[in-house]
Amino acid sequence: MTYVLQTHRLTKTFKGKESVSEVSMRVKTGEIYGFLGPNGAGKTTIMKMLTNLIKPTSGEIELFGEKLTPTSYSMLGRMGSIIEYPIFYDKLTARANLELHCEYMGYYNKRAIDEALDLVQLRGIDGKSVKDFSLGMKQRLGIARAIVTKPELLILDEPINGLDPIGIKEIRQLLRILSQEYGISILISSHLLAEIEQLADTIGVINHGRLIQEVSLKQVRETNTEYIEFHTNDCVKAAYVLSHHLNISNIRVIGNETIRIYDLTTPLPQVNKVLILNDVAVEAIHQKNSSLEDYFLSLLNGGGQSA
Amino acid sequence: MLKLIQLEIKKFKITGYVIGAFIAMACIFGFVCAISFDPSSVEDLSDFEALFSTIDLLTRGVFIVFAAVLLSRFIIEEYRTKSISVLFTYPINRKKLIIAKLLIVFSFTFISILIADSIVSILMLVINHYHEFIHETLTKDVVIRQTIAFLMNAIAASFMSLIPLIFGMRKYSTAATVVASILIVFIVCSNSNGFSLNSIIAIPITLSWIGAIIAYTSFRNIERKDINP
Repeated sequence: MTYVLQTHRLTKTFKGKESVSEVSMRVKTGEIYGFLGPNGAGKTTIMKMLTNLIKPTSGEIELFGEKLTPTSYSMLGRMGSIIEYPIFYDKLTARANLELHCEYMGYYNKRAIDEALDLVQLRGIDGKSVKDFSLGMKQRLGIARAIVTKPELLILDEPINGLDPIGIKEIRQLLRILSQEYGISILISSHLLAEIEQLADTIGVINHGRLIQEVSLKQVRETNTEYIEFHTNDCVKAAYVLSHHLNISNIRVIGNETIRIYDLTTPLPQVNKVLILNDVAVEAIHQKNSSLEDYFLSLLNGGGQSA
Repeated sequence: MLKLIQLEIKKFKITGYVIGAFIAMACIFGFVCAISFDPSSVEDLSDFEALFSTIDLLTRGVFIVFAAVLLSRFIIEEYRTKSISVLFTYPINRKKLIIAKLLIVFSFTFISILIADSIVSILMLVINHYHEFIHETLTKDVVIRQTIAFLMNAIAASFMSLIPLIFGMRKYSTAATVVASILIVFIVCSNSNGFSLNSIIAIPITLSWIGAIIAYTSFRNIERKDINP
C-alpha cells in the first residue's frame, strides 16, 4: 500500500495556542479521504500546511513519498487545491483565470480548460468577470481550476459550500469520476457527515486540532450494524420472550427500559407482534438504519472531553 | 523570469497604467509651461539648468507616487485579496514571483521618469525656440550634464519608490502606501529657492539604499513565512 500523503505528529501553534496538535494522518494513493470535524477544528490549517502556505511548528509532512520542505516547489505542481474559499483574480473572466492558472502550473493544453469547465457544468460565462459570480459558481470554478491540470492529489476544503442540492450531487459524482477514472487521490474536508459518508473511503475525524480517529468507512459500516430498539417497562420478560419465542439471543439491555436487538433476521413487525402477544408492553419500537452519525458524534464528543 | 513578468502584466492589465503615465506626463508638461510663462517665476527659470531640474523634480515626484499605486496593485492587493495564496501554490519559486513584481514596478518607474524627463524637456526646448523665455544658448556641456543627472536621479527615485512597500504591507493598505510615497516626495522633491534636499547627495543615496533593502526584505524570508494565517 502506498500513501500519497502522510503526516507525522504535525503541530501548528498560533501565538502560543495549538490549532493543530500532533496529527498523524495517512492518505492512501487513489482513495478519497474525508476530513470530518466541526468548524474551527483545524482542517483548514492542516490543508494550508499541506500546500506550504503555512509552516508547521513541528512535525513532518510527506507528499508523494517525499518530505515537504519550504522549497519543494515541484510538488506543488502535482496538486490542485481550494483552501478556505475559492479566490480568483476578480476582474478577469473565468477563462482568463484558468488560463493564468495553467500558465503558472506549466500546463499547456488548450482543450483542458473547456473540459474542466464542462466537467463542473459551468456554462454561459464568457465575458463575465468572476466578481459577478455567485458563491456556487465560484465554487464550481474553483473545482475546475483545481482539476484542470489533472493533478495527482486534490485538496478540497469544504468544496460544497454554497452549492445547491443538485450542485452537490453533481460535484459528488464528479469527484467519484476523478477518483475512479483518473486515479486522483482526493482529500476533502467537510463538517457535514452526510456528505463525507457518501463519498469517502476513509474518514479522519478531527476536533480541537487533534485527529481523533482514522477509519475506513467500510470498517465502520461493518462494525456498526443496524439494530431494532424498543422501550418496555419489563425488560426481563421481554428478553425471555425474545430468546424463547423468536430465538433471538443477540440483544443488549440498556438501562432498565431499552432493549436493542442486533439480530435482524426477524423483521420488526414480527418482533412487535410476538412481544405484544406475550403481554410485553412495548412503548416505542424502531429500527436504526444508520448509526454512523451516532458513531461519529460519539467520537467528536468523546474527543471534546479528552482535549 | 521574463515569463513571470509577462503573466503579471497580463493579470493586472498594465495598459491602463501606461495611459495614466502619459496623462501624468502631459500634466507635468502643462505645469512647467505654466511656470515658464508666469511672470512672477521668471527669475526661477532663468537658465536651462533651472528649467531641467524643475522638470526632473516634478517628474520624479509624480512617478514616485505612481509607483506606490503600482506597488499596491501588484503586491499589496494580492495579499489583501488573498490571491497571493493562489499564487504561492504554484510550482514556482516564491522569491521569483515577488522579484518579478518588484521588477515591474521598478522598471516602470525608471522608464517613465526617463521618458517624461526627455519628452517634456524636448517640448520645452521647442517652445523656447519660438517664444524665447530663457535668454541663453544651450551648450553641449549642459546637455551632457543634465542627461547624466536625469539618469542618476531616475535610478535613485526608482529605488526610493519601493520604500512605501513596508508601510503598505503592515495592514495591506493602499492608502498607507500612497501616503508614504507622498511623504517621500516631500523629502526629496521639495524646493525652496532652488535648494532641494535632493541636492545633498547623501540623502538620495541613503533613501535609495533603504528602498533596495526594503525590497530585499520583502522576499528574503518568503519561503519560511506563513501566508495569511
